[in-house]
This record gives sequence, structure tokens and C-alpha cells, in this order.
Amino acid sequence: MPSWQDFQPFIVTGLALGGVYALSGVGLVVLYRATGVVYLAFGAVGAMGALIAWSVTNAGGPGWSGWLACVLFAAGVTVGYGMLFGPALAKRDPLVKATATLGLLLVLFGTMDLLWTTSGGESRALSLPTDNSGFTVGQIQINWTQVIGLAAGVVITVLTALFLRHTRLGTAMRAMANDREITATLGVPVRRVEAAAWLGCGVLAGIAGLLLADMVALDATTLTFLVISSLAAALIARLRSIAFTFAAAIVIGLVQNMLVPISSLSNYSDMTPFVLAAAALLVLVRRRVMTSSREES
Amino acid sequence: MQMYKHTSNVRGHLALVAVIGMAVLAGCASSPTSTGNTSSPAASSAASQSAAATATSQCGTKPGVTATGTPIALGGIVTNEAGTSFTDIANMAAAYFACVNANGGINGHPVKYYIETEQTNPAQIAAEAKQLVQTDHVVGIVGNTSIIECSIDSSYWQRLGYDIIDSGIAPECWSTPSSAAVNMGPRYSSDGAVQYALTQHVSKIAFDQSNVPGTGYIAAGPAALAAAARVPITQLTENVPITNADSVAIREVDAAGPNGAVVLNFTPPEALVILQAAQKLGLEDRVKIWGCSTPCNTDFLAAALGPKWDHKLFVNAELTPPDVTNTPTMSLYRAILAKYGKAVSGGIGSFSQMGFTEAEIAVHALDTITGPYTVASVNAAFRAVSNFNTGMLCQLWTYGTYAMHIPNNEDYTVTPDNGKMVTAQGCTQISSVDPQIAAYRKLAGVAALAP
Repeated sequence: MPSWQDFQPFIVTGLALGGVYALSGVGLVVLYRATGVVYLAFGAVGAMGALIAWSVTNAGGPGWSGWLACVLFAAGVTVGYGMLFGPALAKRDPLVKATATLGLLLVLFGTMDLLWTTSGGESRALSLPTDNSGFTVGQIQINWTQVIGLAAGVVITVLTALFLRHTRLGTAMRAMANDREITATLGVPVRRVEAAAWLGCGVLAGIAGLLLADMVALDATTLTFLVISSLAAALIARLRSIAFTFAAAIVIGLVQNMLVPISSLSNYSDMTPFVLAAAALLVLVRRRVMTSSREES
Repeated sequence: MQMYKHTSNVRGHLALVAVIGMAVLAGCASSPTSTGNTSSPAASSAASQSAAATATSQCGTKPGVTATGTPIALGGIVTNEAGTSFTDIANMAAAYFACVNANGGINGHPVKYYIETEQTNPAQIAAEAKQLVQTDHVVGIVGNTSIIECSIDSSYWQRLGYDIIDSGIAPECWSTPSSAAVNMGPRYSSDGAVQYALTQHVSKIAFDQSNVPGTGYIAAGPAALAAAARVPITQLTENVPITNADSVAIREVDAAGPNGAVVLNFTPPEALVILQAAQKLGLEDRVKIWGCSTPCNTDFLAAALGPKWDHKLFVNAELTPPDVTNTPTMSLYRAILAKYGKAVSGGIGSFSQMGFTEAEIAVHALDTITGPYTVASVNAAFRAVSNFNTGMLCQLWTYGTYAMHIPNNEDYTVTPDNGKMVTAQGCTQISSVDPQIAAYRKLAGVAALAP
């Protein structure tokens, strides 16, 4: 068993990744609450945005133009999908809505494989300027990208919570989460509210894509399916609570990374999101059953 | 009622988890075919096109005369799936054959080359082998590069009398009588990388590779070398694609220690994320040297890593470094790539060099046949290839009738330098401390160095 000192650098990497998972998870929860859609293409949209950013900077463009292109692409594709397919699928079961986004995922995934091929052993990297500077705490070196990863998760969670609680648009989103029909009857412009939710989710997908491309890998497969960790966090929070999503994402990031130095468990660390999500759902069911049984007796 | 509603929600959530799982599988099983329309980096200027036209006339005995005889059918099976594609190797072999066909062919016969792609599906791979034999009537198999094809088809090829010229990955590509590879593959290439690290007097080695079937077979080579040198070695494996590169890099550096070496055996994208993570965390100088098996030998990697890794990372190279070599063979390789290699997306590099070399050996063998081109005559010619100077390998290449074939067992070491890979160590024999290498040398002896 590694010592506490051995675990310390893994805590830093876990917190940074957890922060980005949180940012993604919050985007997924907000969109789900406003539209009822679990956006499985979140990772693929961010991945393609990051690859576009790489192409822009690789062609000689300044770094900021690549980042902007990434966020604009992610926002554009997400809003486009939401406006095109959202109304048609509005009254369908959530599972149907989620599965429909798999179509977008597969289209983007195929496009990335076509445009950014790896058949010749090509390897790409997207580095942010914040990678090259940082500070040291004890023996552990921390770079500013890691700090940004965690900070982005915290800031987005807090801002989203404030937005949902204190703005008209946020209130409308919360109302739609409770009952879309009644909200529409009350005169809330449902389409506009949904468009705002899709836009916010798309922007977060772009930001997450950029950060994960830097912190993990600029690889279509990796980035596309990293959404699983964020989705697991959102599921643990039952796709409702932003605060719980944040906490769950941080726990997933921490556990996943802190298993790495334990030789016997290292190769199972990728199971963390699934195991925690399944465990949380089972505990929630058990608690609900026990509560109901007590009420009946 | 309340309880039912909630249970229903949970069921919905579990169903979503299942959908996500299916998405992962769908992603892994997709079969893109995307190599045909990407320009090669080598094909850039009119001047180079003109030079290419001159050089490619050396492909055959009748420059500029298109072969019109009965085609000689050859085939190859390559992996092409999301994240892993070896199509550049077969596409480069196809480019070589196209050049031969445009310059007289094989005694006037053009080569018709069938490429089958597979997605690591044993049933599919077995079916493709049968298709090549029974439908396409191929008389030889050249350019196979597949994660599991050697394991699936080796007994089939042996039964039918086919002797394969391939780029190996699975252990059977080197341990069976019917396969001779132009590359060394992950085990012997990892041997080379570890061997170089040992020459630098490191005190410990952390050897890390993908957590896929066959890791034990690969790890046995480096373990034998380290044990013989009395240097401790820590064997690590990582699930791919790597999703926590920072943690992986920290673990490797911790395992190797300050006077140790981290040796990687990954594809270029995975190796890149680990090395970049190490760089971001300031770990590159926390070990004495970093090593890597052949896949890291790409200029893409050297350029993406930047100067911090110059002469810090040492990569085993199974083929002659193309950037610094100006031999007739290398000129021909560049010329064929420029004129016929539009489908070779990676351009100059190990993959296209392997495809070139395999086709080159096959054409050399076919040229020796005087009678009809049958399965028997073609494969007898393949087996008869002996001490052939490919111009791409350290050693002369021999097929032979051995129970196993490791004809490429001498290699280079390269290192990044200003965005390119340059030679750090010339041709060096892989140590016979690896029992497989010892067994092969006992059968075939030590091949002479290429002139």
C-alpha cells in the first residue's frame, strides 16, 4: 500500500480532472432539466471542437482563435441539434431523446476519424499556455491548467446555481424541469428557454473539450467517451442537483486517480464512474423502499 | 405510488448507463475507411513530382511500359478500426506494386493487390483469409498487419502452403513457420529500448505498456534483459485509451526512481499523452532517461513533444531512419510515395517503410520465378529469399524454412532533435538474452549487416 505522501500528487490530478468532469456534468444536468435530454454527444462535440482548435493553431492561427473556434463550433452544433430535433422529440420518452443524441455522437465520431486520421501513426497535442507555469506545494508540482480545471468546475457550478435561482431565464428553466406543458401555458417562451439551455450546454462542451484535450489527450475516441465520467456524476445526482453533481464529479476524479498508485487496483480505476453510479443508484432505491415501507406500516 | 415512480426513474437511469455502454462498444466496433483522399506530405511540389517520375522508373525492368499480362493476385489483411489503423502499410505496398505495374510489371505481369480490412473480429478475419484464397485466388499474402490476424490464420496459411510476408504484431507472427515479418514487433522492439537504457547504466527500469492480450509475452523479453543485467524492472500496464495520463506519468516516474529509466510500449498517441503529461508536471528530468519501442519513432511525435525531450527520449527504430538517409532505395521509397502514395496518409514513416519493404521483398521473389505464378511457385520463391538487401533494415533479410522467423533482429536507436527523429545509436543486435532471439539465432544464425 503506498504511503500518504505517494498519494498526494494523485490527489492534485484527481481534483483537476474532477473539476472538468463537474463542469461537464453541470452542463448535462442543466440541459436535462430544461429539455429532458441526456446529451450523450457532449464529449464528441467537445472533441471535434478541440480538433478544430488544433487545426486552426497548426495552420498558424493564434491560440485564442483556436479556442474560440472550438467553443463556437461546440455551441453551434449543440444549438443546431437542439433546434432541429428538440421540438420533434419533445414529447418522447427521455430514453428515446438520449438515444437520438447517440446519432449525433456517431456522425461526429465518424467525421473526426475521417478528417483527423491516425492510420499513419499521427499523434496530435493541444497545449494551453498555462501548462508551462505553476507552483509547488511541498514536493508536488501543480500547473495552472490543473488549477483552472478545478476552478472552472467550482465557478461554473456556483454561477449556474445563482443563474437558475436569481434570473428570469433560470426560473423558467426550473419551471420547465417541473412541467413543460404548464410552463408553456403560463406564457413562458419554451423554445427560447430551450435554446438558451442548448447554448449553455454547447459552450460548456467546448470549454470541457479544450481542457480535457490538454489534460488528457487530443484523441477523438478518448474525448468522446470521457463524457461517461461526467454523466455518472450527473446520474449520482439523479440529474437534478447541481451541487451533488459537482461533489460526485470531484469524488469520481479523486477515486479514479487515487487508485492508480495501488498496483492491484490500478487497472480497475476506469471502472470508477460505473461502480460509483451503480452503487449510488442502488443505495437511493434501497433508501426509498425503506422510507415507503415505514410510511405504509 | 411514490415508490413506483422513483423506481421507474432509477430504472431509466440504469437504462441510460446501458445505452452509454452500447455507445462505447459502437465506437470501438466502427469501421471507418478513410485513407483514400488524404494527400501525402511528400507530394508537395512540381519539382519533386519530376524527380519522382525519374526515380520510379527503377521499379521495373521496362521503364514506362505498363504491364498487360495475366495479373498475379496478391492479398493482405490489415486492422482498420477506431483508434488503430494499419492501412498505411498495405496502401504503401499497393503503391509499390502500382509502380512496378507501370514499369514492366513482373516479366510483363501486373500485380493485382487485394486489401482486406478488419476490426479485430476473429470470425471476420478468418472469413477474409478464405475470401482472399477462394474468391480472389491470391497466390501470395503480403503486407498483413493486424492485431490478431497471425493468431487466427497462421494454421490456415500453413495448411494451404502460404508463407506470409508481413508486419507482425501478435506473437505468432514470429513464432510460426508460415510468417516472416519485416519488423521486430512489440516484444523485440521493447527489448531494444530496454537494452539501450541498460547501456546508459540506469539503476531501475519501469516498463509500461497497454493492458491488452499478449502483454505477458511482450514483457518477458525486457524482463529477461533486465534480469541478466541485474537491474530491477517494474512491469506496469495501462488501460487504453489513457484517460488519466498525469497519474500514469507520476506512477511511472515513481517506479523508475531518479537514476532509472521509464520505457514505454504504446501507440504514438498514447505515448504522446504520457510524455506530455510528464512534461506538464515537470517529471521529464525526474528519471535518467525515457525509452520507447518503435511506434514512437515518428516525426509527428518529435514535433509535438518539443525540445525538452531532445536527447532525453530514446526510441527503438526497426527501420533505417528515412530523414537522414540518401541511398537509392530511400530515393525510390520517397519517389513511389510521392507518385503513387496518395492513400498513405502518414507519408514518410515506419508504416510506409514497412509496406515498401514487404512489397520490395515480394517483387524480388516474384522476379525469380520462371514458370507459372501459382501458390506453390510464389510461396517457394518467398521462402527462398535469402540475404536480401532491402535497403531499409540493418541486416540482410532471409525467409528460410525455419520453425520460427525473426529476420529483423538488429536495430537503431533514435531521439528527438529539433522536431525530427535523429539517430542516437547505429545498428545494434538485440541481445540473445531474450530466449526467443536465442532460439531463432540457433536456427538461422546471425544475419550479415546490410552493406
